[in-house]
Amino acid sequence: MAAGAEAEADEEELEPLFDYSRVQPTMAFSFDDTDIEKSDIFVHCNKRRKVADGDGDANADEKGDKGEQKAAKAAAVVDLGEEDWLPPPPPPKPKSTVTDESEQSSVLKELRLQKQAMAKFAESADDFLEKLAQTARQKVEARIPTEHIDLDKSPERHEAREKVVVTVQDKAGHHQFRLYKDEKFGKLFRAYAKKVNLSVADLTFAFDGDKVDAESTPEDLGLEDEDMVEVLHKTR
Amino acid sequence: MSGGIARGRLAEERKAWRKNHPHGFVAKPETMADGSANLMIWHCTIPGKQGTDWEGGYYPLTLHFSEDYPSKPPKCKFPQGFFHPNVYPSGTVCLSILNEDSGWRPAITVKQILVGIQDLLDQPNPADPAQTDGYHIFIQDKPEYKRRVRVQAKQYPALL
Repeated sequence: MAAGAEAEADEEELEPLFDYSRVQPTMAFSFDDTDIEKSDIFVHCNKRRKVADGDGDANADEKGDKGEQKAAKAAAVVDLGEEDWLPPPPPPKPKSTVTDESEQSSVLKELRLQKQAMAKFAESADDFLEKLAQTARQKVEARIPTEHIDLDKSPERHEAREKVVVTVQDKAGHHQFRLYKDEKFGKLFRAYAKKVNLSVADLTFAFDGDKVDAESTPEDLGLEDEDMVEVLHKTR
Repeated sequence: MSGGIARGRLAEERKAWRKNHPHGFVAKPETMADGSANLMIWHCTIPGKQGTDWEGGYYPLTLHFSEDYPSKPPKCKFPQGFFHPNVYPSGTVCLSILNEDSGWRPAITVKQILVGIQDLLDQPNPADPAQTDGYHIFIQDKPEYKRRVRVQAKQYPALL
């Protein structure tokens, strides 16, 4: 009975132990009461001794098993360590190189894009300037009258002396003549008379209501470009 | 400010006139003693329109601009005693486009004023009389009116 009771007690004690995977090796010792007791005690002692130091075959066996576990753990740790060590060399290098290359390429691309943008801007600016120039030229050409008589075409004199465009207005319309500012009006009068097939003697020229003297010059009257001189017929 | 605007506008008018104006018309600022131009007073000449009794005459007209120009129209004056139904004895012209409360607009140019007055010479407005002599004769005695006009045309011959 006592033995049964002890056995039951032992079983009861063993049940919680079964919950642990480490308890499996101790099942072999359950056949001997003394072994069981020792095993229980040793388990605790082994734990303590593990912390300090251990002796004995059985203990040695247990220690061996635990040592193997420790070794496995250590190996795992070492593997982890190895894994920790291994990744740095190969992956970072290609990654870093790839990153560097991508960065460089992106920078270069940006630079190229900016250059292209600048080039396009320059081209557009050039086009704009050309358009402005063309517009200005067109305006100038538009302003320049179709009929334009140059009384003196000498380039040398042209360079040295200033010219002025004078409009001569009669009842039929107006004509424009270009002459030097210091040139006598007589030349203009004769050119106009010849153009309209009349005699200079029959014509009177006036500016601002005052008669223009054949011996005077545009400079004398303060004429500016396209100022208007009127012609009147004396026969009236 | 208004003074500046007036003179600026008048300088522009003068420049435009020099380059383009109707044949026979004259319009120039008064020349002062020192030789400079007084933009506020212009001396003009209006030719009588061809084909009318006014033809052959070159009628002197003076434009007086104020500092309020072009907000206000200039005062246009023929010589005193000028014969025309719409000209006051003082010579001031009575015309709608010269009336600030009537037809005046700041955009009206000197050229338009002078051409408008030329039109008025041969086309009086009897509804707006400015002088007794011209008005009564124009209304009551057309032949006498035409004779008076032709006489006046000879009184203002071309100066050239």
